[in-house]
Amino acid sequence: MNISRRLPRPPRQLLIGHMQWLALLLLAISIHVLEASMPSLGPWFKAGLANLITLIALLWMGPRAALLIAIWRIVLGSLLIGALFTPTFIMSMAGGISAAVLMIAAFRLLPCLSVVGISLLGAVAHMLAQFVTVEALFIQQPHIYFMLPPLLLLSAVTGWINGALAGYIAARIRHDP
Amino acid sequence: MQTDHQPRQLRHYLSGTAADRWLLLLILLLIAGSWAWIRHQVSAGPPTVYIYHEHQLLAMYPLPDNDQPIHYRAHGHLGISDIMISRHGVRMLHSPCSSQRCVLSGEHIRAGDMIACVPNHILVSIRGNRRQQLDAIAE
Repeated sequence: MNISRRLPRPPRQLLIGHMQWLALLLLAISIHVLEASMPSLGPWFKAGLANLITLIALLWMGPRAALLIAIWRIVLGSLLIGALFTPTFIMSMAGGISAAVLMIAAFRLLPCLSVVGISLLGAVAHMLAQFVTVEALFIQQPHIYFMLPPLLLLSAVTGWINGALAGYIAARIRHDP
Repeated sequence: MQTDHQPRQLRHYLSGTAADRWLLLLILLLIAGSWAWIRHQVSAGPPTVYIYHEHQLLAMYPLPDNDQPIHYRAHGHLGISDIMISRHGVRMLHSPCSSQRCVLSGEHIRAGDMIACVPNHILVSIRGNRRQQLDAIAE
């Protein structure tokens, strides 16, 4: 008897869902690697384009898929750029998980906010979490927070723009199959 | 959350909802307030460079007025960070970290500027304002 005939075939919809999640994850990893190679406007600041994919996953697939994309994107992206388990990885992980958790909470609990507001909260949480991590683990100096306001301002601007882009892309793809 | 039947123009999304704009305003006010408070804190006193390793203050130097630069070798988590302090500002000349972001960040002179080398656990902070020092001398 053919072995493959014994194995139950997964439902088509389930397979499509997994493929969509995987496609978003690969896209997020690509953007993560690209952002790491680009010049930065300030210490620990990135435009947060990879977070845009987390937002789209949150809109399309829900909180669990978004959180998993955020975590796997940072693990595999850091592995590819040779930064796994370095301080940069720990800061990225703290920022990424904080942003994802706050965006999920806002998505569920604050229906008055659109994807732009959710992205704004995520960007600010990401930057704050990075500073708290640096102060707790690497440089135990509260003076480090003196650098925070200008970087938070940049995060707020990019968070707003990324949220608008995520909403636009999500609606566009839904309307243009 | 609206995900269905949304308009397709990007500018619609860029304008956000009223709740989004209130949230942005609140965040901007908090940033502006904390920024003003920090500027006030770091501008007090003569311009001084503080060098830290983790929680420990390794050295503090006033920004020199002459052309004689000061070299300081800070022992960090990975090795020695070479810091140069001159009348033009502070810069990291060498760092044992792999990213070299602290070295590439260049020269810093304004009150509140910092060079942070996270892998080597070194922080260089400038506090104090040269203009305030001159005002104090004039008084």
